[in-house]
Amino acid sequence: MSGNESKFSSELVAKVNELWKRYPHKKAALIPAMHLIQAERDGWFSDETVADTAALFGLPDMHVRGVVGFYDMFHSEPVGRHVVRLCKTLSCKLRGADGLIQHVNERYGVKNGETTQDGCFTFKHFECLGHCANAPMMLVDDEKHLDLTADKLDSVLGGLS
Amino acid sequence: MIQETRAMLEFADDPKQIELATYRKNGGYDAFEKALKEMSPDDVTQEVLKSGLRGRGGAGFPTGRKWQFVPKGNDKPKYIAVNADESEPGTCKDRVIMEQDPHQMLEGTLLAAYAVGATTAYIYIRGEFQKSIRIVEDAIDEARAANLIGKNILGTDFSCDIWVHPGAGAYICGEETALLTSLEGNRGYPRIKPPFPAVEGLWRCPTVVNNVETMACVTQILRRGGDWFAGLGCEGSTGTRLFCLSGHLKRPGVYELECSTDFTLRDVIEQIGGGTLSGAPIQGVMPGGSSFPVLRADELDCGFDIESVAKAGSSLGSGAIMVFDDTVNVRDVVLNISEFYSHESCGQCTPCREGSDWVRRMLKKFQTDGPDEGDIATLMDVTDKMDGTTICALAVAIVWPVQSFLKKYPEAFAEKVTA
Repeated sequence: MSGNESKFSSELVAKVNELWKRYPHKKAALIPAMHLIQAERDGWFSDETVADTAALFGLPDMHVRGVVGFYDMFHSEPVGRHVVRLCKTLSCKLRGADGLIQHVNERYGVKNGETTQDGCFTFKHFECLGHCANAPMMLVDDEKHLDLTADKLDSVLGGLS
Repeated sequence: MIQETRAMLEFADDPKQIELATYRKNGGYDAFEKALKEMSPDDVTQEVLKSGLRGRGGAGFPTGRKWQFVPKGNDKPKYIAVNADESEPGTCKDRVIMEQDPHQMLEGTLLAAYAVGATTAYIYIRGEFQKSIRIVEDAIDEARAANLIGKNILGTDFSCDIWVHPGAGAYICGEETALLTSLEGNRGYPRIKPPFPAVEGLWRCPTVVNNVETMACVTQILRRGGDWFAGLGCEGSTGTRLFCLSGHLKRPGVYELECSTDFTLRDVIEQIGGGTLSGAPIQGVMPGGSSFPVLRADELDCGFDIESVAKAGSSLGSGAIMVFDDTVNVRDVVLNISEFYSHESCGQCTPCREGSDWVRRMLKKFQTDGPDEGDIATLMDVTDKMDGTTICALAVAIVWPVQSFLKKYPEAFAEKVTA
């Protein structure tokens, strides 16, 4: 914890200060800043993190809570060390996404939104992730894995720690 | 055989094209430099008007006309917002430009800013596209260091900054007014139009919202001339366009094609897409993303241009051609589409928030149990009432495909007759 003004790291506050310079109104930097905040706070927005974010921006808690709830990339519950987002929209469905979802359910014991028992990863069905010509696909954190098969998926998920 | 015409993708296969030096060696920023030094802002707009360019995000509005809506002599700041929230199902082309030739988008953005007098541009990239975000941010840094972005660009009195603004996962933010609401730091709620963004956009200031591919086209037009662009493709669908072929095809991919009335949508699916992977007959095609009516296999002999596909009862939309063969149950296909829209409804308008989820539940029932007597009429009635009763087009983006599936595949939705 750095200083009195903010409960975030000084690095994060410095980055948010840079973001604020890009817009005529500070509020516009909220979503870019929330990506940084979520990463610093174990990947999710607790009540405390919501309140700290709101304080940093001078906004009501409810505004931040509303933004967390609206956008699929922000989490209001704890997540695993990694987040696995598997695309389930039409192009991926036509190339076998349903089978991969079933494979993950059975092999790793997690359904949509659940985290593995060892806390390794949270599994999420996601709507179109924009790689339709390389379907099916998934994102593991920021990395994309294209033209996915059950074998490929296992080798990626097996390498996570 | 239909061939690709590579203009936007001319250098896309060179991994060094993302670097400023290579982009410049290949003629990059020459058009921008020429515009700054030899053309008036209005000359730039006139060149784009001459080209016949229509926006590549899905609605197909003429780009030059959109720019002309920006009020002149207004002392409010003006903004550009580049729509890189690519998330219409089946669409995966803007990402190709951002990951493989990002300066082409930035050059078009600068040209648009010069044309309308904007001093700041934001590239709103969907948050899931981390690779695009990294590459575009690096490209901006390089261009800024070379005085192509920033204050007094290339020694002129034109100044323009460009920033990447990441989204956080919401399809609705690809709707231009929702994008602006989101960029201002809110839930991405669409706004009532008019006022249109060109008059009242970001922070109630004039804002041009253009798609990534549209910006790449602007670069091509100023590089090679409006007449060159207008001479490609066909009337109403000029230039080249990136098409995303996906689904049950042998050769899914992103292809740069000219539109034409000399060949058909079927020709593109067969010659470019290679037909179906399994060899099974085509059952249906969503020719422009999933927000428009489906075309049955016997409706694919229309010309391959905006007007012809519209006459056939659908739309080329965002250029996303999704093909499914007869091994899949159309009940599963339409349920999948409805799940997407009911998940992505922003919740602002009651007919869409309640209606999209009701439609999804109804289609889930059809998938498992089949429709009961009277169900289809009820579903048609409810969806009719969602059409035109909401702020934005997301509601009709579920109504049109759902109604089209029910009408075009009646055998798959036969009602159980109760004794």
